Amino acid sequence: MSVVDQKLGDRYDTPKTPVAFDISNLKNFVYDMQHCIKCKGCYWVEHSYNPGVKFNVRCSSNFYNDFDAYGAMGKMRIGLGVEEGKLKWTDKLLEILYACTLCGACDVGCKRNLDLEIELSLEALRVQAVKDGAAPLPAHKKIYENIVKKNNIFGATENRAKWVTADVKVAAKADVLYFAGCSASYVNQDIAQATAKIFKATGTPFMMLKDEKCCGNVPFSAGMFDDAKKIAQANVAAVKATGAKTLVTSCAECYRMWKVDYPKMLDIATSDLGFEVLHLIEFADKALADGKLKLTKPVDMRFTYHDACSVGRLCDAWVPYKGERGWMGMIYPGLRRRRGRQGLYKQSRNLLNAIPGATFAELVRVRENAFCCGGGRGAKQAFPDYAKVTGNHRFEEIQSIGAEAIISACPWCKSQFSEIAKENGDNVKAMDIAELIAASVEI
Amino acid sequence: MSINRQAYNAIQAVVGERYISEDPAVMTGYRSGPAGYENGTGYERVMTVLPHAVCLPKNTEEILKVVKICNRFDVPYVPYSTGFYGPRTHCHVENELIIDMKRHNEFDIDVKHFYYNVGTGVTLASCQQEAFNAGAYAVIGGGGAQCSAICNLIGDGWSPLSHRIGLPHRRILGTELVLPDGDYVEMGSLAVSDDPFWGEGPGPDLRGLLRGFTGLRGCLGIVTKMAIKTLPFQPETLVPTGIAPNTALALPDKRIKWNNYLVPNKAAQVKAMFEIGHAEIAAACTKVPKFWRAIAKAEDKEEFWKLWLVENEESIRDFFIVRVLLIGYTSEDDMIYQEKVLNDIMAEVGGTQTRTKPSDESWLKNADSAGMWLMCGSYVSVDYIIESMTQAVQHGSTYAELKKKYTPPLMPDFGDPGWFQNFELGHQGYSEFLIYWDHREDVNGVDQFYVDTSKMNIKHRYYTSLLGPHQPLFLTGPMYGPNYHTWLLKVKEEFDPKWVSHPPVPLAHDDFVNRAPWMQEIKDWEVPNPLPMRQW
Repeated sequence: MSVVDQKLGDRYDTPKTPVAFDISNLKNFVYDMQHCIKCKGCYWVEHSYNPGVKFNVRCSSNFYNDFDAYGAMGKMRIGLGVEEGKLKWTDKLLEILYACTLCGACDVGCKRNLDLEIELSLEALRVQAVKDGAAPLPAHKKIYENIVKKNNIFGATENRAKWVTADVKVAAKADVLYFAGCSASYVNQDIAQATAKIFKATGTPFMMLKDEKCCGNVPFSAGMFDDAKKIAQANVAAVKATGAKTLVTSCAECYRMWKVDYPKMLDIATSDLGFEVLHLIEFADKALADGKLKLTKPVDMRFTYHDACSVGRLCDAWVPYKGERGWMGMIYPGLRRRRGRQGLYKQSRNLLNAIPGATFAELVRVRENAFCCGGGRGAKQAFPDYAKVTGNHRFEEIQSIGAEAIISACPWCKSQFSEIAKENGDNVKAMDIAELIAASVEI
Repeated sequence: MSINRQAYNAIQAVVGERYISEDPAVMTGYRSGPAGYENGTGYERVMTVLPHAVCLPKNTEEILKVVKICNRFDVPYVPYSTGFYGPRTHCHVENELIIDMKRHNEFDIDVKHFYYNVGTGVTLASCQQEAFNAGAYAVIGGGGAQCSAICNLIGDGWSPLSHRIGLPHRRILGTELVLPDGDYVEMGSLAVSDDPFWGEGPGPDLRGLLRGFTGLRGCLGIVTKMAIKTLPFQPETLVPTGIAPNTALALPDKRIKWNNYLVPNKAAQVKAMFEIGHAEIAAACTKVPKFWRAIAKAEDKEEFWKLWLVENEESIRDFFIVRVLLIGYTSEDDMIYQEKVLNDIMAEVGGTQTRTKPSDESWLKNADSAGMWLMCGSYVSVDYIIESMTQAVQHGSTYAELKKKYTPPLMPDFGDPGWFQNFELGHQGYSEFLIYWDHREDVNGVDQFYVDTSKMNIKHRYYTSLLGPHQPLFLTGPMYGPNYHTWLLKVKEEFDPKWVSHPPVPLAHDDFVNRAPWMQEIKDWEVPNPLPMRQW
């Protein structure tokens, strides 16, 4: 039984237990899973921002399927069941776990009130699924095979740098290294080309990896920790070898991998990577503030903006933590928890509001309350129905704004919205923020 | 043994294959604990089990059909919606069905007549925003903005805003109810027409059966739809600001303002609140426990304890705050008038105004009791009374004394006497006592404290709001009736002769005391053996 001894500095006698944020061990998150209070802060848009009876949910997984199990509150209870050996892996359990983009809405929703590591618990649960042989799912296995054989998630065989057209100048050596990622290299090449145009407009020479490879976000998200870690090690080594001071990427998913998940797997701080990691939004925002980027060309368009999860609530820098937990669950040493406050919300809006001639209208659910598009982290490949329901719901919100275009900072969001618009027979144009910025640049 | 296969198939035929499950992983998602409101207590560990099946009906018609099937095939069921309220809204007996009604999310608002109709799956926060959009407002219950509006109103439903808006049952207009056996009833003016404008209808007002003060937790059927009264609000927009955990509504300072006053003693606190009510000013008038201020300031658990453990019995004993929310409902002049009256009252009682932020973090829209789990991990409001104001403050002090006996496992709170506030412009005083603990510890004392609370209330003649299914009925019923328990059981037998609606409520706490060995040492009241209920 704990007591408070106020005369002594050390007030507590509750036995201390180790705390670590290593997702390769589900036991590290038992405390977090045990302390979910089912308030459903993981599910609803934060109360101050609750818009009314429409568009008031933030969890795409639980929107897709209404049973509590699909929300983080259910998954925490399921996680305990798995850890205690009371639940067996089944197709249903795997669907509950993987029909989810790990978008982080639950994590920041929970951290409004509590200090629980929901996102890490979900990641650890997937790692456990792989350890137990229940995962990866066939769709994720296929993607991993593509990465191993072709260095990209699509299994594409053509040259990854095909987007580098004659007007794009890639330096042999530069401080800035551009990491395009699989989508911008093969599917959304407009984004990579627009990014190159922005570099040019700001007078920034950039180089690229000679043999750029997938960032590995799908194997990581599928719980293939060891495989994803190897990709992380190889990629980090490759960038270090170039001597680049700054890695810039226009892909939100790559950004999160480089800035958060690589350091997480490698057990180092983001600041110890040896180079800075920026999303194009950060780079362009700084250039705009410094006067290097001039947005002068009018764009006659009413657009709205979708906060991609990985440049929003999920991109706080990673800091490894090891400590102890004692009385009342307090941890020692103290920790400034990752609550999504480093999201690139302000930077993106600085840019969007600077586009001349355009009208920017916000969506209903913005910033940390944004509803995921459903297109990322391998969920779409494994559960296309989930991705469709999720994408359609976000698209309905886009339509409610009356926008001509939906802008995002992630090629996976762009692909998802393009597809959904087409399926809905709507001419709303899906664009990346890089394309919008580039359209406003006069070179 | 499990739910009858024919029953399962029949329910599936009603709700559709997608909306019923008996999968173990899905059922685990409906586990009550291990954390959450009242979870981690013996009640949760002894009295809750996983459901056998869960169904998700979309509307009243489907709910009604499911309840009829349950009666036909003898399937016990628990009504459930937004799912926040701890073990008492989870399954208590084996082979039970959860009727999860979150999909029943109809909402329409009558702007002209100031009320809205709401289904079971709509939260208070959503209702409040819709009301704001229509120039109106209602109460966000202290339980949290994430609660189903219906669920909250048939239970507690009060908050500091009840100072002006009043107690929750006064705001219930038309009500649609599926009785335990599947009969359908419309109450209020819905009983005679489609116009849910009046709470009272012809004949006995069955709303009384629904609520007591804290409801009957699903043991008398399911409220499927409700018309809720709203009141006119001021016209300015409340703009949400900040990133969690520092979110708030920015207040238009000429129309809405929180005012904090420190007053010299308890008598001054009560007098100030009484006079504020008497003058018919203010939207809310409340005394918050001091640890809530630490919660509000703290970024995390560790910071909370750093802030809280500098307090001591003396600093808590001498802390007398009156927090007043002023709203200029009709005009800026209205606000100015109220401020002047408030200043006069505070000058009279010796109050000193302290700094407040021009924002609302807690009561207008985003009441979020979930923050109370921050410091310990486990929490429950173990008692709340609605009394005269003078009696209500005594309740807090008596309770603080009792609590010392159970600290630990309860968290050290240095004798804090809990919440105290005005309801209905001072016609009622409200006292609420909150307890916190770490459920990883030995928490038998928490369970005993619960029952000792009942005994304390009986001894001091406090009118507890938790008289119904929250305490042993055979302990409290004879003392508050003298036949409250027999009356309640007769009502149960009349409406639910098969005891299929959330058994064994209202005798669940009696059952718990019987089943928990650590409760025997404090069981000193007479209980029939066996308890007069169906055995499951």
